[in-house]
This record gives sequence, structure tokens and C-alpha cells, in this order.
Amino acid sequence: MSFQENTVALSSGPLAYHVAGDGPPVIHMHAASGFRATAALEALAQSFRIYAPVTPGFDGTATHDGVASMEALARLEAEFADTVIGETADVIGHSFGGWRATWYTVLHPQKVGQLVLECPAGFREEGVGGLSPDPEELQRRLYAHPEKLPPETKPESMVTRNREMLAHYHGGKAKDDALVDRLNEIEALTLILHGTKDGAIPISSPRLLKRLIPRAFLIYVYDAAHAIEVDQPEYFTGLVGDFLTRGEAFLVNPGTDDRAA
Amino acid sequence: MKFNYFHLMPWTDIEETDQDWPVANKRFVPDRATALYETYIDTMVYAEECGFDWIGCNEHHFSPYGLMSNCNLIGTVLIQRTRRARIAMFGNLVPLLNPIRVAEEYAMLDVMSGGRLIAGFMRGIPHEYVAYNIAPSESWERLEEASELILKAWTEPEPFGWEGKHYKYRAVSIWPRPIQQPHPPILMSASSPESARFAARHRAKMGMVMLTDLEAAKNCIRIYRETAREHGWEPGVDDILVGAHTCVAEDDEAARRHLGGGLDYFYHVLFGGPRTAQRLVIQKTRFYRDEANRKTLGARLAALRRTTIEERIDKGMVLCGTPDRVIEQVRHLHAELGHGVMNINMKIGNISDAAVRRSMKLWGEHVAPAVRDL
Amino acid sequence: MKFSYTHHMPYTHVEEAGQDWPVANKQFDPERGAELYREYIDNKVYAEEVGFDWIGCNEHHMSPYGLMPNPNLIAAAVIERTRTAGILQSGNIVPLTNPIRIAEEYAMLDVQSGGRLIAGFMRGIPHEYVAYNVAPDESYARMREACELILKCWTEPEPFGWEGEHYRFRAVSIWPRPVQQPHPPLVMSGTSRESATLAAELGATMGVLRLTSFDGARAMMDVYREVAKSDGWEPGPDHFMVGMGCCIADTKDEAVETMKSGQKYFFEVLGGGIRTAQRLVIQKTRYFEHEESRQNFPGLPSKVKQVPIEERIEKGLLLCGTPDMVIDQLRRVKAELGHGRMNLNIKIGNTPDGAVMTTLRHLKETVFPAVRDL
Repeated sequence: MSFQENTVALSSGPLAYHVAGDGPPVIHMHAASGFRATAALEALAQSFRIYAPVTPGFDGTATHDGVASMEALARLEAEFADTVIGETADVIGHSFGGWRATWYTVLHPQKVGQLVLECPAGFREEGVGGLSPDPEELQRRLYAHPEKLPPETKPESMVTRNREMLAHYHGGKAKDDALVDRLNEIEALTLILHGTKDGAIPISSPRLLKRLIPRAFLIYVYDAAHAIEVDQPEYFTGLVGDFLTRGEAFLVNPGTDDRAA
Repeated sequence: MKFNYFHLMPWTDIEETDQDWPVANKRFVPDRATALYETYIDTMVYAEECGFDWIGCNEHHFSPYGLMSNCNLIGTVLIQRTRRARIAMFGNLVPLLNPIRVAEEYAMLDVMSGGRLIAGFMRGIPHEYVAYNIAPSESWERLEEASELILKAWTEPEPFGWEGKHYKYRAVSIWPRPIQQPHPPILMSASSPESARFAARHRAKMGMVMLTDLEAAKNCIRIYRETAREHGWEPGVDDILVGAHTCVAEDDEAARRHLGGGLDYFYHVLFGGPRTAQRLVIQKTRFYRDEANRKTLGARLAALRRTTIEERIDKGMVLCGTPDRVIEQVRHLHAELGHGVMNINMKIGNISDAAVRRSMKLWGEHVAPAVRDL
Repeated sequence: MKFSYTHHMPYTHVEEAGQDWPVANKQFDPERGAELYREYIDNKVYAEEVGFDWIGCNEHHMSPYGLMPNPNLIAAAVIERTRTAGILQSGNIVPLTNPIRIAEEYAMLDVQSGGRLIAGFMRGIPHEYVAYNVAPDESYARMREACELILKCWTEPEPFGWEGEHYRFRAVSIWPRPVQQPHPPLVMSGTSRESATLAAELGATMGVLRLTSFDGARAMMDVYREVAKSDGWEPGPDHFMVGMGCCIADTKDEAVETMKSGQKYFFEVLGGGIRTAQRLVIQKTRYFEHEESRQNFPGLPSKVKQVPIEERIEKGLLLCGTPDMVIDQLRRVKAELGHGRMNLNIKIGNTPDGAVMTTLRHLKETVFPAVRDL
């Protein structure tokens, strides 16, 4: 299932988004490198309709006046969901997108079905992990299997600009204390994924989320670094699809029983 | 220096085996085995009295080579009857088992013993893969993934899931969890350069349970130390275990006779069937990733079988003789290798249990006090 | 009447276990766990002196409900310290474990004990499938295949292979093999039509491990008898074992109070997380083949509301009161069901160990002498 690009006019400006697939709606919030139609997401789109809004300023788009904080982004994404989707949707957020997804769930709980946090940023101690300025080190932190990485399609200037946009929204901080304080409000059933080789997010992050989000499952994805969708696409699609389909019953091995589905 | 008393619990009531795998268990006489287990357990308990710091158990399958298919069962028995000795598991064969089960059983042993467990994460010898029908070519990657998963099960503060290549769990939180913090010490085999590197990467104690060649052993220890340093840690002497077949007696001649006979039985009878399975695994699979390793191992094992007891003593591969002779031999080994733990295996093949106890007593009274401070 | 002593080894230092599955083990204090293991094993060993014919262990995972993820480790310890009692393993949970491993471990226990093993082939309770990530709807198919394979391991005179749906081995010959011939006696659960049928097919002692009504138990016993009859044999009273909670004190009030508070802890604290997992399995999978069994399962959310203790005593479903009352209660249940074995659960929830000892003393001094000949 390949993604189509669209634009929707919102109150603060036009918002680009990618969409693919059929099935229950899922919002995917991209990481600091901007939107990437990974094979893992395309596979997930076999069973879900995936909407991936592009955060203003990323992937060559313009920023919106008055949208310059994580909370403001969450409000923008809520307007997007109301305008384009119009019903409750599950939410997947990767890294920087996981941070947004968490704010989105805290501020708009009624719009969220289930939540998937894929190595979310925003919950690490200062000075541990993060994105390295050294390209080789950065590669090591993000990918356990760089050989699986498809060729880069974005110009280098866009990739650089994307990373620079982070500061625009969160000021470059490692940990969002205001958000941490509100994690216990999350009612959505939450799946936290963490790659065993993640060099960008220290292990204290998923542990913190697991401890503070009331109904959360934490799964370690073996032999994956920060980009789980690239390193272990089958694990990602299988786990997330199963979680979104079966809810808490995803704890139980389904075997061949259709009642489990 | 510390000492581990290592016991395989062999079945020694057969005269010869054919070379078939698995060894037909019709030759096993259960009625006699009850007394045999009792003798072996008493012997292992006695090791504490003889000044051994650790007591070691092993996992083996489908042959008279060793009667501990799950050595953790023997572990709990030893815990009931000892107070001080560490219980060192030279099994469990991690790639053959459910890692969560291993984490659970080791946690039980650790808690029951008040923190005396040394947890072996072993890859096992080739024939065990035939026994449990696991592809030997997967042994390293299974060991790698399982080791990580077990450590997670021991140390993770909240329930967690695991999505891996060989193991998948949605929610794990083992009860009990271990008493030693952050987790029990880990022991891994390091008899080849490949395994020495692996042990160092995992911050495990390295074990060379049975010396075959002094130079090869030195090389493994060097590789282990270097790899450890590359990974940001410095092994202590206690992290290096080196083992030798051992027989102490009142006179050299008796020691030589006991050990010579026992070794002969060990290689020709007990190892007959396993050798057949081993050959299949080594020739037909990628159990050894390293081609050179595969070739040298085969050649080494064949050569070993033909080596006489005198040659073994001369080469420093066994500890054999009067207490004074053995003290010298231990000193020599220590000077060469600088290890901190000696693995002492005295029940070699069919050496009589009386001779084994005699050997233990002499070890405890004479040898251990003389070499403890090395 | 013959008696078996069951003890789950619960972890009772948890105040509030919550309803999550699995139960987070940060609540497990290993130091306290070490004390509990010591006390509990001493207690199991003492059961032999009390006059119990069998001493039971069972397998549970990932919760304070029971600290025996591998009950065979505890059995080995109990065997080492007892001389005559049968060792009833009412775990292993067969569909969750490698059947070869079970055959091996049970053989070790049988040999170590000189033939005292009673081998439980259990399907387990639903949440254990979540713990080990095995599909609950495969449980019967796995169970049937694994039971056959284990029996083959114990009885096959020559090495054999197995090509099945869930298990595949090319060449098996376990060492050790069991003392008891043709194989150790079996115990299986008979709480549903499916399990009672399988128990009868294998000639196992059928355990009604949780007595909820005489009619229900009788119905399952009838299923067993019918299957046995069509297979051409007649079960005796010893083929039926009924499990009941038991609390004896000097006064009735004291016994009822003790049991009440133990049950409350069992239900509210120990049972919390387990019920969550159980509900998922029962609602979302084909764990029970017959809808009737699903409806009758006592753990269904609609059924978990506790029946008051007084009412259960009244109905004869609990042994609770003074020694004389319990003697009458035992006579009644015997008259109702005609079985030959009782499995007593005395450490219920956090029942204080002193109260457990009081019950054991009354059993030894008054109750057992009076009901032995029932």
C-alpha cells in the first residue's frame, strides 16, 4: 500500500499529510527526519488507514504562525484529526513523533483509541542518548542494520532543516517535565516499543513511561536500534498490528483461533 | 585461589558402548542408579568439607556421560545440604531451553541458597543439539539473544515483553527474582577464541573446564582480557576459571593408575556415542563459525584421546600424583595462566568413588592450604 | 483414605498485588523469599511425619500465587530429606514445556527417590499460557501429543524418533530412565469433561483439584468411569483424588476465622493479576473445547463472586472446624464421592504458618487415625 500526499487547510495554515490503506484509522506521527513511508508502515496499511500529518516546517513545508510548542502541535493535530478523519483514531508516534503523540493523548484523550510509542523522545535524562552531530555516530545510534536502510530520497538540506526544526518546537530539551507530570492521566491502552540497541533513547525512558502510564505494555524489540521500522520491519508490523487489532488480548498467543482476532 | 569441585555424575556400570547416538538406555539400570545418585550427591556435599569454594553441576543428555539432564534439580539438593559453598551451574544449555524458564530456575536457586548461585550460560557440546533437535547453526545467535533476555528478566523493574528472532513474549515478570544484585555472576565457556570473545563481551566469568593445550589456553585468556578491555571492563582473577582432571593419592604410581584407567574409560566408553553425534554436528553444520576452529577441534580431540597419562602430566594438562606433586603442578599452571579459580574434576570415567573421596581428602588437607594464597 | 499434602508456596508479603498481569516482581523481596523457601520446604518435609502419603508441588509463573516455576527443583530438595512419602508433582504443565525435558526431569526424581514419584501431567490454569506465550487453543492438542511422547520416552526399549504436530525429535533415549515399571503412576486433572476423558485414557489418577459441587465432581468421575469401561477396565477408589481446603483449630470459630482471612488474601491479593490473564484467555481463545466447560469454569468473571465460607462448609465443600467436625466432614465427602484419595490444601493465602502447624498437628493426632480406614 503506497502513500499519497495531500494537503488540508487548517486555521493556522495548510498542513501536508500522507495517507494509505484501508481499515480503522491510525494517525502516525513522524520522527525528526520527517515522514518516511517505510516498508513496515506500508505493510501496516494493509489493515489500517494510516494518516501521517507532516509537522509544519518539516519536509520543506512552512511553519505555522503561533504553532511553536509541543502543546500547540497537539492542538494542530487535533484539528487535523477532526477535519480529515472525523472519528476516534489510534495513534502511533516515533521518537519526536512519540513525544507529540503523548501530548496529543494527554490533551485530547477522547480522540485517541490506543497509543503506540515507538522509542519516544522527550523522556530522557540530559546528556544521555539523543541525536549525535557526528554522522557516523548518529548512524550507529539510529540503526542496528543500516544495510536495510533504503536509499535516501530527501536532499541533505531538507534532512538538516528537519533536525533544526526540533528546537522550534521543544527548545532542544531532553526531558519534558510538564508532560511527565501528566503521564498518569493517560487512559488509552499504550504499547511502548524500545529497541535493545537504541543509542538515541536510553533505557530509562521506556521504563519511566511503563511505570507512569497506567495501562501500558513495554516490549523490547531485539536487535533493533532507534529505527525499529527499518531494523526489524516484520516485528514492528506484527506487534503493532496485533496490538491495535486485539487490544489487551494481544497478551495472549492467538494460535489459530478466530475468536482471538 | 578458589576451587570448584566439578562432577559429571557419569553412569559407570557398562563395560563398553557401541558408538551409536543416542546411547540406548536399556543399559541403564534404574535400581542401581538410586544408590549412585546418593553416592554422587554425598560426594558433592563432602566437597564443602574439603575446602572447595564452589560445587559445580552440568547438564547432559541421552548418554551415560552425565546423569544431570536438568542440573538445577541437583542444585537444590546441594543447597539443602551445604551452607557456604557457591553452587556453580556449568549447564544450563541456554540455546536449548526456554530462556524465561532458565531465568526462573536460576532465580529459585539463587533465592533458596541466599545468593550462592553462579549462573552458567552455556552453549553446550555439539551432541546436545542433536538430543533436543535444535539446529546447531543457530547456537550462537540463540545464546546471544537468550542471554540478553535472561538478564532482562532478572533486572527489569517493570513487566516487559520481548520481540526477538528466536524468542517472543508479551509480558514477563518472573517470580521469584534473584537475590544477588544486580544479578548473579555469569559464567560462560571460553575454550575457543570465539567463545572467549563472547564471554568477555557479556561480562561473564570465563571457563575452560578442561585444559587441552597450555598455549591455546593462554591465547584464550589473552583474547578474553583484550576483548573485555575493548568493552570497558577489567576482569579480575576470579573471573578466570581453568580446569584439569585431577587425582591425588599417597603415591604417584597409584594416582597415575587411577587417572589413567579413568581417562581411558572416559574417552572410550562414556564419550563413544556423544562422539558420533559430535562428528555429525561439526562436519555437517555451522556449529563453529570459524573454519580453523572447526578443524583444530576435531584434530585436538582425536589427539587427546591418544595422549598417554605421562604426556598429559608432562604437558601440565592434568593434576596427578602425591599432594606435593600436585601442589607443584598447580603452581606451575598458575604461573603460566594467572587464573583465580581452579576447576577440579576428580570423578573421571570409572575411577572408584572411594579413590575419589581419598583424592578429595588429600586435596583438602594438603593441596588446598598450600595453594590457596596463590 | 489416603492423603496428599499440597502447598503452593505463596509469597505472602504483598499487601496489594493489583489486577495487572503479570504481577510486577518489584514487590518480591528476595531476602524474605529466602526465608519463605526455607520454612516452606521444612514444612513440606514435616508432612511425612504427619502421616501424609504424598507430598505435592505445583508449577506457577509470574505472580505471588506460588513460587515454584519449576516444581521439580523443590521436589528434589524434598526427596533428599524424606524417606517414604510419595512425591506428587501436580505441575508440570505439560503443554508449556519440552516433553523430553519433562520425561528427563521426572526420571531424575523417580531415580533419586527410589521410585516415589507420582507424575502429574497437568494442562495448567489459563494464565500460565500468557506467561509462556503459548496459544491456549493448542493446549489440548499439545497435551495429548506430549503425554504420549513422555510415555514413549519412559517405556521405549530402543532409541526412537517422533514426528508430530507440535513436537519433533529424530533420536531419543533419555538418561536416566525411571525406576518404576512400566512407568511412574500418573495424576491428571479432571475438572472438565475433556480432561477427565484424557485422564481415563491414560489410566491416571484423576484429581478433582478444586471441589465446587458434589454433583459436578460426580459428573466428571462418571465421565472417567465410562471411558475406562469402554477401554475395558474398572477404576478403584484410589483412581480418584479430591482436593479440598482444610483448616482445623480447637474451636469452630477460630478455624472459620483463620480460613476466612486466608481465603480473602488468596482471592483479593494472590488471585488479582491471575484473574486478569485468565479472563483474557477464557474470553478470547478456545482454551476449552466444549462450551459447557467454559461456562462451568470457576474463574469466569460472572462466577468469581465468592461463595461465603459458612455456605461452603455447610455444603461439605471445605474441611473446616474442630478435629471432630473435620472427621465428620471427611466421612461425608467420602460417602458422597466414594474416592480413595484426598489432597489437602492448608496453606491458603496468607494463613499464618502457626495455624498451618496447628492443623497439621490435629491431622496427625486425631483426624488421620480416625479416617485412615475410610
